[in-house]
Amino acid sequence: MPARVRRKLPSLLLVAVFVVLATAGAAAAANGGFTPPVPHSPNAARTSSAYYLILGFTAAIFVLVESLLVTFVWKYRSRGRARTVEGAQVHGHTRLELIWTAIPVLILAVIASFVFYELPGIDGAPAAADPLHVTVEGHQFYWQFDYPNGARSIGTLHVPVGEIVDLKVISPDVIHSWWIPELGGKVQAIPGRINHFWFRADTAAVYHGQCAELCGVFHAQMLARVEAEPSSAYRKYVTRTAKATLGKQEWTGVCATCHGALGQGGYGPAIANDPLLEQISALTGIVRNGFTGSRGAMPPVGDTWTAAQIHALVAYVGRHVYRAAPIGGTSGG
Amino acid sequence: MAARSETVYPVGWKSGRVSSWLVTVDHKRIGIMYIATALMWFVAGGILALLMRAQLATPNEKFLTGNSYNEVMTMHGTTMIFLVVVPILAGFGNYLVPLMIGARDMAFPRLNALSFWLYMLGGIVLWMSWFATGGAPHAGWWSYPTLSEAMPWASPGHGQDYWILSIHILSLSSLAGAINFLVTIHNMRTRGMTWMRMPLFVWAIETYAILLLVALPSLSAAVTLLLLDRTVGTHFFIPSQGGNIVLYQHMFWFFGHPEVYIMVLPAMGMVSEILPVFSRKPIFGYKAIAFSTIGIAFFSMLVWAHHMFTTGMPVGLDSFFMISSMVIAVPTGIKIFNWIATTWRGNLQFDSPLLFCLGFIALFTMGGLSGIFLAAFPVDWQVNDSYYVVAHFHYVLFGGTAFALFGGLYYWWPKMFGRMLDEHFAKAHFWLMFVGFNVTFLPMHMLGLLGMVRRIYTYHHGGLWEIYNLISSIGSGIMALSILVFVANVWITHALRRGVRVGPDPWVADTLEWYTTSPPPSHNFDTVPYVTSARPLRDLRRRLEETPA
Repeated sequence: MPARVRRKLPSLLLVAVFVVLATAGAAAAANGGFTPPVPHSPNAARTSSAYYLILGFTAAIFVLVESLLVTFVWKYRSRGRARTVEGAQVHGHTRLELIWTAIPVLILAVIASFVFYELPGIDGAPAAADPLHVTVEGHQFYWQFDYPNGARSIGTLHVPVGEIVDLKVISPDVIHSWWIPELGGKVQAIPGRINHFWFRADTAAVYHGQCAELCGVFHAQMLARVEAEPSSAYRKYVTRTAKATLGKQEWTGVCATCHGALGQGGYGPAIANDPLLEQISALTGIVRNGFTGSRGAMPPVGDTWTAAQIHALVAYVGRHVYRAAPIGGTSGG
Repeated sequence: MAARSETVYPVGWKSGRVSSWLVTVDHKRIGIMYIATALMWFVAGGILALLMRAQLATPNEKFLTGNSYNEVMTMHGTTMIFLVVVPILAGFGNYLVPLMIGARDMAFPRLNALSFWLYMLGGIVLWMSWFATGGAPHAGWWSYPTLSEAMPWASPGHGQDYWILSIHILSLSSLAGAINFLVTIHNMRTRGMTWMRMPLFVWAIETYAILLLVALPSLSAAVTLLLLDRTVGTHFFIPSQGGNIVLYQHMFWFFGHPEVYIMVLPAMGMVSEILPVFSRKPIFGYKAIAFSTIGIAFFSMLVWAHHMFTTGMPVGLDSFFMISSMVIAVPTGIKIFNWIATTWRGNLQFDSPLLFCLGFIALFTMGGLSGIFLAAFPVDWQVNDSYYVVAHFHYVLFGGTAFALFGGLYYWWPKMFGRMLDEHFAKAHFWLMFVGFNVTFLPMHMLGLLGMVRRIYTYHHGGLWEIYNLISSIGSGIMALSILVFVANVWITHALRRGVRVGPDPWVADTLEWYTTSPPPSHNFDTVPYVTSARPLRDLRRRLEETPA
């Protein structure tokens, strides 16, 4: 390395370290999207530490590369020298090549080792006596959750705070991807496959996320919520509330996405005064099998629904959505 | 070279101003047609990007419906990758490879013309899909089944079929082109041009061609199976009937990752050509750059499943693909350090080609480093499929490839057309694009970390989501402006004939394409000097200085 560069290197490195520290400080002070979301589950926490380790190295490399580039660009600008004036005719430097091959290899080895060190607490749940098993079904365009006691909920997953939750992630139609940023990474819900994911919410709160894999026209509306609550509240939810509100959850989480909150129509047709809403067998057929009409297709949104679930829906829409006689419209047929 | 009398220019309708282009087998004209067509598609794909940014500028925006957003998004990705980047590189390769190696033309000129016209056809077929029943394809540029299958709730209609057909046509075009490049480079280098004296851009095109040959068949197979599913009732990718859709992901990405390097390596080759000329130095570490190109190409075929970390692969596979993806960072780093070392103690001439190359290095570094996060699979589980990834690959493909491409256009423009583009406009173009690019794509990193997933047509959050999205949309407008400056530059240079006419070698460059006139005659060279180094023109200049006339 020539003397001039050697003299500059310490000051350059100092600048690099300073900038990294300043950036890290600013990022830590205000989580304006400069850092991963504040983790609320052990796997998310370990993922974040891997992120910060990589950030440390990459930020240093970034500053080194960009400052070298800027320095050289400034220092070796032509200053009016003619184009025909040649720069130093240096063709290469074997030792430098070896250095900038070896150092990245070392850095990457450190990163990979750290990932393997953190991995056991990310990939697998800590051995627990009895994790809560929940089946998560991705569906155009909603999430459905099956609890161990047979209860079902849509859109919002209720879990007891501080307990390990083991998710079995499946899909009957297209690929979806389960993601609640504060509770760890994502995993695809793939038709024909069963994937697993776990988390342990450390604070009673509502965590938001949404489907991360393009799943069709309402991919953007396929929101997911995880409501972590004390275990008494959780037990109350799965034994009573889930069943009592299932019809409402189905309407708002599934039907209303296309047909509007009041059934007034949206992407799908207006159905608020469609007598079909009261005909349980016809409604079952449409919800289970989908429907292809002249105005487009409805996916088989309820192809995995139980009879009780469809009854709950019919009961809910009969009471809250269906308007037999629209103003200025025809009733019936 | 065949006797001159056999190459008398054809008579009749074939020699018209337009029709002579239609029937040409001249690699230079074909190259220019490739580049012009690709630039046209670049504008078209860019307009789609502006539509998306308009839709995402504010929350709950109603500018596009969910369905049309998905169409626009799918067509933007497919257009930019298959109709812009890959073919424009083929265009540069076509124009430059024979000139750089001192050949008269490509090895198979007619096959070359076929490649181009297939590309033209493929583009038309893809964009015909807007008029298909059911509209344009809307399953994303990778078209994962089952969303791309023909079920009424997936992709009914024929848009997806047009997409498949177009991919097939474009694959044929690229395969024929790749074979042509390989045969040309292997057999038609001029006297004295050994492998280690070959311009680095030709090295890049060599690896580009090899990667196309290796990777494209996998894509063709995948979309053929998809086509069979859609049209004749097979169920390769219909899980309820025994199909396996993860298989499609593997087949697609076995093509898809080498594709990234197909799109980046030739751009890197351009940087390796331009940087030394404007630093007035030889490239630093010629062999290191050439071998790192080959290293990247080799490893690029071993990293595909890092696009699939969230499919629930076994941890052993995840680990393999993490390590192979990290390994690929090493040769990439070697290139970046060698480029920076090339500027060291140079006499830097700040013409627009150099600016674009420096922009390439600055931005590609960013894209490369954010790739390290994505290679570490637990971190990838967090940021995959979010706007973080969108930011990452735009830093690689726009900040990287597109900047190098514009640098290449400004550099070789006088060779292609005999006139210089205006430098003031060129510099305005660079700065607008550099600023606009960062304003557009830097906030996307933050959006991804905030939890914004990609490919959503709208969002409901205000606050930071809204601010970053709005900033990003404003940036896209600045980039659009920079492209208008480029178009204006071409217009004043040619339509208004303001461009300065130049001789064979306006940049005092090193490689053989600058030995012949600008633009070169149809036979390229009257004579080609014996090549004794990687910089034959500099050797010539020095010999002229040493021997008094």
